[in-house]
Amino acid sequence: MERKKIRKSDLGLWLDRIAEEYELIGPTEEEGVIGFEPVDTSAALKLDYTNSLIPPKSLFFPPAESLFSFRKRGREIELEETKPMERDRVVFGIRNCDVSSLSLLDAVFGEDLEDAYYLERRARTALIALACPTPPRSSCFCTTFDIDPLSPEGSDILLTDVGDVYLVDVTTERGEGLVALSGDLFSPLSADEAQELQPPPVQMRKLDVSELRERIEALWEDEYWEKLSLPCLGCGICTYVCPTCHCFDMVDVGSTSDGARYRCWDSCMYSDFALMASGENPRATKAERVRNRYFHKFSTFPSRYGTGYACVGCARCLVHCPAGTEITQVIEDILAKEEVSE
Amino acid sequence: MSDNIYLPSIATVTEVRPETSDTSTFVVTFDDAKMRESFTYLPGQFVELSIFGVGGCPIGIASSPTEKGFLEFCVRAVGTVTNAIHDLEVGDKLGVRGPLGNSWPTEDVEGNDLLFIGGGIGLPPLRSLIHYVLDNRDRYGAVEIVYGARSPQDLVYKQELKEWEERPDVDLYVTVDAGDESWEGPVGFVPPFLREIDPSPENKVAFTCGPPIMIKLVVEALEDLDYADANIVTTLEMKMKCGVGKCGRCNIGDKYICRDGPVFTFEQLREIPGALEG
Repeated sequence: MERKKIRKSDLGLWLDRIAEEYELIGPTEEEGVIGFEPVDTSAALKLDYTNSLIPPKSLFFPPAESLFSFRKRGREIELEETKPMERDRVVFGIRNCDVSSLSLLDAVFGEDLEDAYYLERRARTALIALACPTPPRSSCFCTTFDIDPLSPEGSDILLTDVGDVYLVDVTTERGEGLVALSGDLFSPLSADEAQELQPPPVQMRKLDVSELRERIEALWEDEYWEKLSLPCLGCGICTYVCPTCHCFDMVDVGSTSDGARYRCWDSCMYSDFALMASGENPRATKAERVRNRYFHKFSTFPSRYGTGYACVGCARCLVHCPAGTEITQVIEDILAKEEVSE
Repeated sequence: MSDNIYLPSIATVTEVRPETSDTSTFVVTFDDAKMRESFTYLPGQFVELSIFGVGGCPIGIASSPTEKGFLEFCVRAVGTVTNAIHDLEVGDKLGVRGPLGNSWPTEDVEGNDLLFIGGGIGLPPLRSLIHYVLDNRDRYGAVEIVYGARSPQDLVYKQELKEWEERPDVDLYVTVDAGDESWEGPVGFVPPFLREIDPSPENKVAFTCGPPIMIKLVVEALEDLDYADANIVTTLEMKMKCGVGKCGRCNIGDKYICRDGPVFTFEQLREIPGALEG
């Protein structure tokens, strides 16, 4: 579809119109923390932000959600499925790293024996992506994984800030429907504008990861994992803020006569993650857990699902790791290590 | 939502048979008549059993699909959920989600002689296949069963072992790590016992399940007896939550034990980094 524009001053009108029809979710700020939250009006949105602390995967795969409730009457047990959502939703302001992460999560939750909770939320949620500010955060490295922060791929609509207006790229019918809600706020670009209104090119560090998978696979027995795991606190923040991590626990809350089964985010960095009741623990050491996490990202996830690496370069883990472990450094270490032994 | 992979079906305990001091067989039947009819499975598959308000855990199906209308589970009380299962009495209800995972290669081994090697509570997953084979006796060759437990009291299916002993078409060998005054059979660990029996690898597939250390030594013994890795089949266990390849817990390499297993040949396991560690 042809590129359009909308005046910045009109954005709120459009989003408010959307909020009449859909549950509108977008970036908000609370106590200095950016998060994707439902809002009643566009005025509640925070537009100058780099990205959220918790990735918007949480909108599709919540940190904790009830799968079903149970109730015991005498000896009978009644189960009731929990509906994943009520109204159709529009997520405004998602960044392309996080859009890409959803296609990776689609591979997991959409693999046969589909996860209906995740898939229903995906099917009933439109994405209005917002091209990243230029320059992006210094920690960002999404282009390493061939993610273009200015691409309309994977979202329904991409907005790009070019001064007084946003460029509007609509890629799906659902996106066209959202634009049509306030059609008069959008106008085509003149020939001159099409030339002039361009975002500045993205400059970002980009690592060459073309051989990352075969190189990490050669390092299974390497002592590197022991060394890498030494400063790790096992806190799990890297997995909590990761837009591609999908490990979860299933926990019953309430009593045996009245309660619910919840699905909650879990972390492979926890020592009891794979600990069995028998006392056996296949990943008993921190080094084994750290190795498992990086193997999952760079070897076993792409191998299983036929996707790219399970990292989108959002840099949340390296910004928030209390021990200062940077995944970019890990990638460089892995690549350098193989070179030495060659 | 249709096809909710996380929603268990309700079943009722119809019989509890104590096997050892900490292990019992639970026979369960789905409450829903349609479910009783439609629930099909293959030997080697497992389910997630739920005690609502406590949680769920993966348990292998110990009965065979040739036995209709009920499922059997042999459960050792070792963790939170399995202890809660042990609190169940006849008439109590629980959740059953499945069948999950792949199965023993029932079709691939038709015409072969079969060797089963079980240790302790590793016999129940094998028993599903043993029953299946004995119920389809003409499709399979000779059946040898090697079974061991820590003590005579720790042998499961004691009555059934007697029945297998008496069958002319089954060769049963039972050992215990340590006997007692009443035990007259062989004493010793399963792997050296297996070496003594010295079963020929000719046209034979070996199935083994037991504690990890037993499996490791059994496989070494089988290899010394010239069994090919492709003809040694085992079933693995790991902590599981979802049972459907989503929760990320039970991976070895790029395989999820719950989806791609639990049954693997040793040929497959040797290809997976870390699968044979520990």
